[in-house]
Amino acid sequence: MADPGEPSRWSAKHDRGGLAIEARAISKVYRGWLGSGDRQALSDLNLSLPRGTAFGLIGANGAGKTTFVKTLLGVVTPSGGELRVLGGEPAEVTVRARIGYVPERLALPPAWTGRAYLHSVARLKRVRDARADVTRQLDRVGLGSEAERRIGQFSKGMRQRLALAAALLGAPELLILDEPTDGVDPLGRAEIRQLLTEERARGATLFLNSHLLSETERMCDAIGILSRGSLVRQGSVRELCGAPGVWRVRFELGSDAALEPSSFQSCPDGSYRVRARDAAALDRELGLARSSGALLIELRPDAKELEEVLAEVMSA
Amino acid sequence: MRAVFSLMLDTLREAAARRWFFAFAVVLTLLILALVLGLRMDVVDGALAATRLFGNDVSHDVRSADVALRSVFEAATYAVFYGGLCFGVLACSDFGPELLSPGRIEHLLSLPIRRVELLLGTFLGVMALCLLGIAYGAGGFFLVLCAKAQLWTLRPLLGASLAMVAFFAVYACMLSCAVFVQSASLCAAAGGLCLLAGVVAGQREALAALLEPGFGRQALLVVLAPLPRVSELGEAAASIAIGGAAPESLWRLVTGTLLFGLSVLAVGAWRLRDKDF
Repeated sequence: MADPGEPSRWSAKHDRGGLAIEARAISKVYRGWLGSGDRQALSDLNLSLPRGTAFGLIGANGAGKTTFVKTLLGVVTPSGGELRVLGGEPAEVTVRARIGYVPERLALPPAWTGRAYLHSVARLKRVRDARADVTRQLDRVGLGSEAERRIGQFSKGMRQRLALAAALLGAPELLILDEPTDGVDPLGRAEIRQLLTEERARGATLFLNSHLLSETERMCDAIGILSRGSLVRQGSVRELCGAPGVWRVRFELGSDAALEPSSFQSCPDGSYRVRARDAAALDRELGLARSSGALLIELRPDAKELEEVLAEVMSA
Repeated sequence: MRAVFSLMLDTLREAAARRWFFAFAVVLTLLILALVLGLRMDVVDGALAATRLFGNDVSHDVRSADVALRSVFEAATYAVFYGGLCFGVLACSDFGPELLSPGRIEHLLSLPIRRVELLLGTFLGVMALCLLGIAYGAGGFFLVLCAKAQLWTLRPLLGASLAMVAFFAVYACMLSCAVFVQSASLCAAAGGLCLLAGVVAGQREALAALLEPGFGRQALLVVLAPLPRVSELGEAAASIAIGGAAPESLWRLVTGTLLFGLSVLAVGAWRLRDKDF
């Protein structure tokens, strides 16, 4: 399991062209009135996110995910620690010009048309050739034909797509997405996934905060688990969920077949767990099973579900 | 400055989409149309011979047109000044809270704009709205009157435009209040309070005279000293509108009111600078 704070394999692998996000010992305390009711939202949070990666932040409600997202944008000022985004301070205008953001809570002006809203954002982002970019992003998120409708008439999913289009304006280097597929239908989710894949191919870094673990798992090549304001685990999905050297196998056993009890451990779902240091060892074990009359029908690494890992972290 | 201008335009766009402002524009248009169609003034050699409103004789006295219109200009200026301020307080109370509402502010702050630009853009947008309102409402009203009386003067419009100076201070209070508390009703209350305090501050000498000389009188004068003197501005506006001399203290009044507004706005900007959303 990857150790928080230490660069894991995925970060070493992707460390080209510097870091998109570098957080060192970030803490945030929301002060109550007259010092009473102080709440620690982030505590000693460390993260080094190489450019070009897709990072997913997961955690229980109240873990501090949205607070951390807001610190990345300069919306919330950390109480302590050092934070650099795209090589600068989040409060710098030049840094924020290179970030696209989809907020968790959306309050778009209901009386404006989708196109007018994007034009306003493009103007504030100082996007070159704003007219063409607005049309392009509207088409990309599938709102090209709805662009002249008032936002007040949009469904939740359409608003979400519009917010995504706003985030994509000006080809940002870093996309920070807080629940980007919330309220979007399954087909729309697939479209958004495809769109984000295109953005990654362009070289953008994705920072995804989502409750949908399957979504995070599919889109991200690195995941961090936030608990009580600290990043307690981070690494690739394989690093987080996998138990290296342990495999699950399923056999079709003939009437006279008998597996070697010391190598294959029976599981409640009818499969077997086998430990093997390397491929050769695995092949040897499987050969033994086959020689005893068992037919191999399934082989996969013995990985936990991300949900199980999250539950494990939360209960710890 | 480009961001400020963009935000200013956005505020105007936001206002254009609101029923309040649409209704206000419709009412103003109807009033001006009613005046155009219903008012008839017979002017002979610069003298107003007769006035008929909706077919009813209003006056038969033959008087110089400028003298005859003085009371109308005075009443209209007061109506524009206080009516405009009250409408502004009510209609603009939710610009600030909406701008700073959850879901909107995070997105705005994630864009490459400074927080102070956000505040300034909204403030200037509302001021531009106020200017448009005065130009359209008061301008239209006075234009019709001047055309009917064949008396061409910009003075009533200049007088009415002092409402904008007063609104500068009032809206600064409202917007700064929004930075502290995102509530439209509290913003309206802050604006109303500033307006009321401004009316009282304009009468500070008269009020102080009611108290015995000493600490109480001095305390009252000190407390009211920094406040914008809204009622004095109103009187100055009416005086300018009817062709009277502008009060000697007009520049002091205007500067003081603008300084008050800027100071309050600076407090709002200071709070906004470090505020977490």
